[in-house]
Amino acid sequence: MSLFKQLEAEGLGFSYEERDIFTNLTFSIQKNQSLLLLGPSGSGKSTLAFCLNKLYPEAVDGILNGSLLFEGKNLDDFNQGELNQKIGIVFQDPESQFCMLTVEEEVAFGLENFNVPRIEMEAKIEAALAMVGLHDEKKSTIHTLSGGQKQKLALACVLALEPEVIILDEPTANLDPQSSTELAETIARLKKERPFTLIVIEHKLDDWVEIIDRCLVLDSNGMILFDGSPRQCFGEFAPFLQKEGIWLPKVVNAGIAAKNAGFYKGERLPLRHHELLAGLENSVAFSIKNNITVSLGEPILEVNGLYARGHLKNINLRIHKGEMTAVVGANGSGKTTLSKCVSGLLPLTQGQIHFLGMPLSKWKEKELFKHLGYVFQNPEHQFITDCVHEEIGFGLEDQAAIPAILEKMGLEKEAAAHPFSLSQGQKRRLSVATMLVHEQDLLILDEPTFGQDANTAHEIMEVLNEKEGSVFMITHDMELVDQYADTVHVLDKGELIFSGTPESLWGNLEIIQQARLKLPFRKRLQNDLVRREIHVAT
Amino acid sequence: MLAKWKLREVIVLSVLAVVFAVVYLLFLQLGTVLFAMFGLIGYDLIFGIWFIVSIIAAYIIRKPGAAFLSETIAAMVEVMIGNAVGPRLIISGMIQGLGAEAVFAATKWKNYSTWVLMAAGMGSSVFSFAWGFYVSGFAALSPGYVTAMFFVRLASGALLAGLLGKYLSEGLAKTGALNSFPLGKEHKRNVTV
Amino acid sequence: MSLHEVNPSIKAFTVVVSILILSVFFDPITPLVTILWSVTVTFLFGRVSFKKWLLLFTPFLFIAVIYVWSTMLFPRLQVGDHIIWQWGILTVTAEGFQRGLSLGLRVLSFATLSIMFTLTTKPTDFLLSLMQQCKLPPKLAYGIMAGYRFLPLIREEFLTLKNAHRVRGVAGARTIPEKIQQLKRYVIPLLAGAIRKAERTALAMESKGFTGAKNRIFYREITVSRIDWIFLFLMIGAVILSAFISWKLGYLQFYNGEL
Ligand SMILES: Nc1ncnc2c1ncn2[C@@H]1O[C@H](COP(=O)(O)OP(=O)(O)OP(=O)(O)O)[C@@H](O)[C@H]1O
Ligand SMILES: Nc1ncnc2c1ncn2[C@@H]1O[C@H](COP(=O)(O)OP(=O)(O)OP(=O)(O)O)[C@@H](O)[C@H]1O
Ligand SMILES: [Mg+2]
Ligand SMILES: [Mg+2]
Repeated sequence: MSLFKQLEAEGLGFSYEERDIFTNLTFSIQKNQSLLLLGPSGSGKSTLAFCLNKLYPEAVDGILNGSLLFEGKNLDDFNQGELNQKIGIVFQDPESQFCMLTVEEEVAFGLENFNVPRIEMEAKIEAALAMVGLHDEKKSTIHTLSGGQKQKLALACVLALEPEVIILDEPTANLDPQSSTELAETIARLKKERPFTLIVIEHKLDDWVEIIDRCLVLDSNGMILFDGSPRQCFGEFAPFLQKEGIWLPKVVNAGIAAKNAGFYKGERLPLRHHELLAGLENSVAFSIKNNITVSLGEPILEVNGLYARGHLKNINLRIHKGEMTAVVGANGSGKTTLSKCVSGLLPLTQGQIHFLGMPLSKWKEKELFKHLGYVFQNPEHQFITDCVHEEIGFGLEDQAAIPAILEKMGLEKEAAAHPFSLSQGQKRRLSVATMLVHEQDLLILDEPTFGQDANTAHEIMEVLNEKEGSVFMITHDMELVDQYADTVHVLDKGELIFSGTPESLWGNLEIIQQARLKLPFRKRLQNDLVRREIHVAT
Repeated sequence: MLAKWKLREVIVLSVLAVVFAVVYLLFLQLGTVLFAMFGLIGYDLIFGIWFIVSIIAAYIIRKPGAAFLSETIAAMVEVMIGNAVGPRLIISGMIQGLGAEAVFAATKWKNYSTWVLMAAGMGSSVFSFAWGFYVSGFAALSPGYVTAMFFVRLASGALLAGLLGKYLSEGLAKTGALNSFPLGKEHKRNVTV
Repeated sequence: MSLHEVNPSIKAFTVVVSILILSVFFDPITPLVTILWSVTVTFLFGRVSFKKWLLLFTPFLFIAVIYVWSTMLFPRLQVGDHIIWQWGILTVTAEGFQRGLSLGLRVLSFATLSIMFTLTTKPTDFLLSLMQQCKLPPKLAYGIMAGYRFLPLIREEFLTLKNAHRVRGVAGARTIPEKIQQLKRYVIPLLAGAIRKAERTALAMESKGFTGAKNRIFYREITVSRIDWIFLFLMIGAVILSAFISWKLGYLQFYNGEL
């Protein structure tokens, strides 16, 4: 790898209307390096990403100070568009990065901008779509794609342009477990085929550890906390990261846990799976999960023979009192659609839903939503006021409670901000908070923890766990399912192919394959350990 | 002219145009009803609404051409989504836009006071009426009636386009959606001061 | 050949020119013949569903009818007008009737031509063609396209907002006045949302390297072929022919503002 500095930041700072997001960042990125950009939610990662390819400050009325060089040349000396071909970026918000009607046109648009000969376009488009597995959607209109499918398309658009630097802003936030892994693998493969500099912003690190060779960590005040090798970052530095509430690779977490429990004998914290295995002496310790099998109350919601949007087929399920239900499945499998039907936001084409003993259709709207809460997959769909404070206070009896909630969700600083001007993770928290402050019998959440750092994710799940009513939660995070869910429903191509306890799901590998899920870390480790025991025994 | 425009402004302009193209189409139905009730003059009662986007766009973006372009694009989109008046409507749109643009031009695109906005609405009224007089053959009607139509449309332009447009734009500024546009900045200044 | 394949720009140009020619004359026959012709073409070469066509056409029929009677009821009486029918202040003259008829048919002739265009042209094709044939600046064209992308969304945006309000415990509107109230509550947020999304779209386009540069290679090429020119001349020829017929029948009048 050449050590030539491709991107150089010197005393870089950025501020939206008299508020500093980050200040005095000095770092440089070498050509073909793979950099992981870490930091708590709201620390300025996305903002930095936008500054790196000159989209900011033009696009917003923010002020950028300090100097930023690309290949030794000041960004301002590049003329418009020139830089975008060299530095491709995938936005964090999948909804907001398209400008054409159909998938095909969208990919073509980028190619047209750089005057790719027409004869080559077709092939490039095909290839890019194939890489992310969107081949079948080539002709479909973008706004009918599911959240995850949109994120894949965004990536395809960038890949088609073959830039020298690729910035990925939480590319897997809305992807199903297997897609996330595949995406990381795709990136790794592409890097082998055609080297490029990679900057990844991620909260879920496990798939990336193998790829990255450098970590840059921002703290909550937008200053550099760490800049160096992953080994060091997740080794001696791990405690600091934890303190900032930054996710660690699960292997590292496990390592720390084991060390503290005193049965990890490796001299330094593990970073790779095999290192952990090597370091562990007592293997059973991890297998135990203190899961109290809760006796379920009576059903509060019953779905019978539900068909909807020509996609969901014959869904039957129950939600019981006080139950924590998780819904999992591949991108586009129909989770969001289902949740909307269940909450009466989408009409059914067939079937009935009973909520608290009464048909959903019979409910008075105002009444219904006193008893049933809903958190949209797209946070912005939740917002109806012009500032964070009002948003939480809306329809809340005791306004005095607001500051506490803001505190809990780490939004104190943003109280006066407009909901739309928040960071993605902050938006997510706000939208969840608007529902958490009320007491419902059933709370439905569509991917409540995506884009969250360790602390905030933990906060959200704790609150959900303590909640009186039942919770119906869509998620792609198998760890959450494993830790919190009493029941898990698996959707596949609009059909409900499994309902049961997480434990029984982990036992059923065909289902897990079919629905593009993954075993939670705990389970994988357990299996490996068992395998090792056998190995040792024989 | 477009060279001076930021892409951001062009798109916001066209989005406004699209949104109002839909509104325009809806009002066409209402117009037809009024038409049925009061005859031709029924249209003129609400004619101002069909100029509103040029007022809003100009008031928000404050660049030469905003009024003209927005109205033109709105007309184009209306045709695309099936206003059967068809391509001719695009010409009408251009002419209406020019009417408003002319007024803003007279202030060198500097002054956006209520009066100017209302005057711009009236400008569209005048231009559009002249055009209508030609293509729709108002001449076949009695002079008195035509004069009545003219003044009704003038008032409608001032109120439904000028005033309503101002009102909507400022509502928008309050939401903070315009913070990176002149109107939004102006609004923030007024709030902070 | 099919109308759908005719180059959109040329199609639009044809329609505009035909309409401009038509608006030079002022008599019942010229528009009548043109109507018959354009309707025939629309259905022979357009493969358009009659229902769709009727949907767009009826409003104009309605307008035309009202034109006829409002011109009949408020005529400019001239010496030598033959009064057909009189009742109180209402006077219907033969000339007034003919004027009304001319005006009505005039509207319908414009309509049929335009509907022919609307029903046989894909909006994106139209824009692409405007860029490729008429050299419309890409900045503007793609701006419009980006805006046009919102059309299907506007309805969704509205539903989304509606759902948000429902979920947050603001009762949905049932009665008409409630609905008007709701509309007021929605218009501003809808616009605000649209504008924010517009800004992001701009950001997205710039991130994909869009600069609005004139020289651009298009993925989909909209071409001009001989068919297009044939279409142009046939259509305009037909309009002139209908004027000729009207002249033969001794109806043709120039539209000189009828003063
Ligand atoms: N358009 C904007 N106007 C004003 N403030 C903004 C805007 N966009 C972001 N911010 C603020 O800048 C800060 C950093 O935002 P940014 O999106 O960079 O955070 P982030 O590190 O990407 O967080 P996350 O991990 O949740 O995406 C946040 O506090 C946010 O409120
Ligand atoms: N508005 C819509 N109109 C038509 N089809 C839609 C619409 N929204 C989603 N779909 C289709 O319905 C299917 C299910 O979409 P849905 O959003 O429920 O998937 P999902 O399971 O939530 O996926 P993800 O995990 O990516 O959010 C997808 O194939 C999608 O293309
Ligand atoms: Mg971010
Ligand atoms: Mg979903």
